[in-house]
Amino acid sequence: MLIQELNSYQSRSSYKDTRNLWTRATLSQPKLNVPRSKICDDSDAEGSSLGSKTRRGYSRKAGREPGDLHGHLSLEMELRRGSILGSHLEEDVDSKTETEVSSSESWLSMSRHTPHGAYWIEQQNRLPLPLMEVVENEALEILTKALWSEDGPDHFLTKHLQRYIEGLKRRRSKRLHLVMY
Amino acid sequence: MKLKQGSFLWYLYLDKLYCLLSVRNVKALLEYFHLLDVHHNNTLNDVLFYHFLRHVTSWKRTQIMIVFNMLDWNAMGEIGFDQFYMLVCILLAQQNHLEEQFIFRHSRPVFELLDLDGELRIGADHFHMYNFLFNIKKQELRELYHDFDITGDRRLNYKEFKLFTIFTMDKYQEKQKAEKEQGKTAPLKKKRPHRFILSSKLF
Repeated sequence: MLIQELNSYQSRSSYKDTRNLWTRATLSQPKLNVPRSKICDDSDAEGSSLGSKTRRGYSRKAGREPGDLHGHLSLEMELRRGSILGSHLEEDVDSKTETEVSSSESWLSMSRHTPHGAYWIEQQNRLPLPLMEVVENEALEILTKALWSEDGPDHFLTKHLQRYIEGLKRRRSKRLHLVMY
Repeated sequence: MKLKQGSFLWYLYLDKLYCLLSVRNVKALLEYFHLLDVHHNNTLNDVLFYHFLRHVTSWKRTQIMIVFNMLDWNAMGEIGFDQFYMLVCILLAQQNHLEEQFIFRHSRPVFELLDLDGELRIGADHFHMYNFLFNIKKQELRELYHDFDITGDRRLNYKEFKLFTIFTMDKYQEKQKAEKEQGKTAPLKKKRPHRFILSSKLF
């Protein structure tokens, strides 16, 4: 029944709203006794969502196939990339953190009655905060090691990497400075 | 293989049924990818890819380069976010001991990854080369080719591979059931020796 619901949802071409697909996937977690035949029939379709750009399918464009979860995810994320990265990043994280803390209780109480309840509960689940600090620190460590291993100090890619690392460090110290004061 | 404790990937998790990341986790992963994408090509070259895996996993250089060559299916010397996402899912499946489930749920893309030559068949040597990814032991590999090579060409086509994934999934679920039942009966068994010791002391 779960797989039929998923298929009917996909046929309505509302795949653009990825929250719907994710919500149904999460709600399906307790229902592990779905008949194997249904899982097998559906697993190829789901498998194609992860491997939308494997060797055979590499020529397919992202987000063009119904049920291609990863395909339209990548398209959506690409569009949002420009607005999230860069100097706006710290502001987004700070404002997002405050908003989450203040509204967490109200969201949890509303989760049962609002559509996509499981999605909003997931929004409240915590990755370590501040998330971007963890991600940036780790990226900085990895890139610094990569720079040390580079053989050509005068190569334009090495110089580009060096400038990029310096930019990340400046952004990090600016953020720390704002947090302290 | 163990993910480095406290690393960003260590905090991520897969959906239990579909063995995929949630939308929120994918968004965070995309930010991470873009931070590592130094040259703004929406790709990671082999140097960045190597240092990333060296930092977050316990893999050796040869293993990392095998994975890179596997994912660089266009032979561009770079991998994009799609391949990066697939790699992260494989890493998380291994970390959380969900290899059987992952291969079952995503049998087609896994098959295409292992089919290096594009012949729609996987030889035992290819499987063996990637056994560190999916934690398949030598004995299991021998049994796999013995039991599922129906056509007898010593290679697996997709249908044979799919049968193998269904079989391993069945075994995995039976093992989980057995472990659960053991967990239920273990507390009862522990009490008996204690009672026996008490009774022996009295007499």
